[in-house]
Amino acid sequence: MSEAPTVLIIDDEPQIRRFLRAGFDLERFTVLEEETGEAGLRAATLRQPDLIVLDLNLPDMDGATIVQTIRAWSAVPIIVLSVRASDEDKVRLLEDGADDYVVKPFSIVELLARARAAIRRQARGTKGDPIVKAGPLTIDLSSRAVFVNETRVVLSPKEYRLLQVLAQHTGNVVTHNMLLKEVWGARHLENGHYLRILVRKLRRKIEQDPKRPRILVSELGVGYRLANEADE
Amino acid sequence: MTITLPHGLPHARLRELLVGVLFALLIVTAVTITLLALSPHLPIEHVTIVYLIPVIVAALRWGAIPAMFAGILGIAAPAYFFYAPIYDFRVHSPAQIADIVMFTIVATITGRMAVAVRHAKMRAQAETLRDALIGSVSHELRTPLAGIIGSTSVLAQSPAVAQDKGLSSLVLGVRREAERLNGDIQNLLDATRISSDGIMPNWEWVDPEDVINGALARKRTLIGERPVNLSVADDLPLIYVDASLIESALGQLIENAAKYSPPSVPIAISAAQHGETVHIKVVDKGDGLSFGEAERIFERFYRAPRHAGSVAGSGLGLWIARALVEACGGRIEAFSLGPGEGTTMRIDLPLKIQPASDEEADE
Repeated sequence: MSEAPTVLIIDDEPQIRRFLRAGFDLERFTVLEEETGEAGLRAATLRQPDLIVLDLNLPDMDGATIVQTIRAWSAVPIIVLSVRASDEDKVRLLEDGADDYVVKPFSIVELLARARAAIRRQARGTKGDPIVKAGPLTIDLSSRAVFVNETRVVLSPKEYRLLQVLAQHTGNVVTHNMLLKEVWGARHLENGHYLRILVRKLRRKIEQDPKRPRILVSELGVGYRLANEADE
Repeated sequence: MTITLPHGLPHARLRELLVGVLFALLIVTAVTITLLALSPHLPIEHVTIVYLIPVIVAALRWGAIPAMFAGILGIAAPAYFFYAPIYDFRVHSPAQIADIVMFTIVATITGRMAVAVRHAKMRAQAETLRDALIGSVSHELRTPLAGIIGSTSVLAQSPAVAQDKGLSSLVLGVRREAERLNGDIQNLLDATRISSDGIMPNWEWVDPEDVINGALARKRTLIGERPVNLSVADDLPLIYVDASLIESALGQLIENAAKYSPPSVPIAISAAQHGETVHIKVVDKGDGLSFGEAERIFERFYRAPRHAGSVAGSGLGLWIARALVEACGGRIEAFSLGPGEGTTMRIDLPLKIQPASDEEADE
């Protein structure tokens, strides 16, 4: 990133904001803080941050409402901070348009990795860079070619489609439903096992040890993530 | 019958009792007046049945003693007002004597049942209060802990600390302790939730490998440098469970293996199909179990006496793990050849008929 990106932190707990600020400072972000959903939404409009870190348990507004409101006019990356709540809540927020989530308590390393990934995706969207890298994996979205350590791998159309959707969100989680819809179509949302089986096949082709995957990792109950090893 | 009254001042208890007795008298009077008013128009032969109402109401509302009082009044009132000779406590007719005997028996039984219902209700109220208390205390503790854990992660990244080995290990120590504390609080929360709401699994088809890797990732800080030998059978069938629940339970087994075996001694995790079940095993070379402990370790709050002073723990982890696995239709068991021989923990999950595969996935 050429100039200092701006992050807007919306969280009502001072001790959380304090360490988030210190963590983003280390990464040379410009940090803005707000305590309430309402003030957060205002700052999101006026200051146009490059990233929003949003706590889900704000006293004045529901997290889902905030995500939906922002998504109505902006594609700014949003990372959600949740307590270990039900998986359904996380899935709903991701489908409302949040880019990723971390569960409290979390390490700043984890949050920064998710944040960088979301910012990169946003940048790729505007620049149109067709090459995605994840560890030893290279995906050329323009020629639909996939390489593991420079060796070309042959994928079935569905395997490629799955990898493509994950690659567009490299480093961020993509929900089971989003993947089912993209690969099989909206009629197959109930067929979660299609996805499990396809992931297994794909892992055999791209992972060094398919039983201990490093690239295509699972977020149980939520979705899958194409991990960016440099970030982990 | 022993009566356990709610704890409180004896004075307050006495007053409550008196209020109960007074109300019992009041209801019996009301019933009697109603019956006297009705009797010229409506021939009621077995009036004693109506006198069961005050007994049950008193037992439910005020407990055993007011109920007994209502019962005695329930015998006296019909004898005096309704059974010949009227306005006299003596009763002559054998049928009416039988009525009174029946009343006594039925009133005793229903009264005791009603008292039991009342006690169960009071106990449930006390438990709800306790659960609410644990819930709010846990939340109050977890927020600062999230702050502490997050702050240590920032400190560990800062150049000043990262370059100093001593400071780094200090920071890591704080983080591990805070995470352990957070885990204990989480267990407390889970245990309360399990006993108050039960578990509602979110069923889905899952790859057992994902569950194992998820549990390992979750316990990464705790495992540290300790080697983990993973052996998962090829082409393991999918399991139909709540993935998050099984991941939590397995994480608990991994945590126990790490806690109760010497550092840097490997832990083995394996998964294989046996008939109609999938077995997931966690094997450690630690302290093992003494005779009879294989069952006891799953009891709530059980802790082995030899670890009570040396290894921190709440005694809740395995109880929770068993509840989570059983909610998914599975079983969890412990095996050991004895103290010093290591422990094997095994989760058995039933296999369902595999879902129809997606033909198109191979196109």
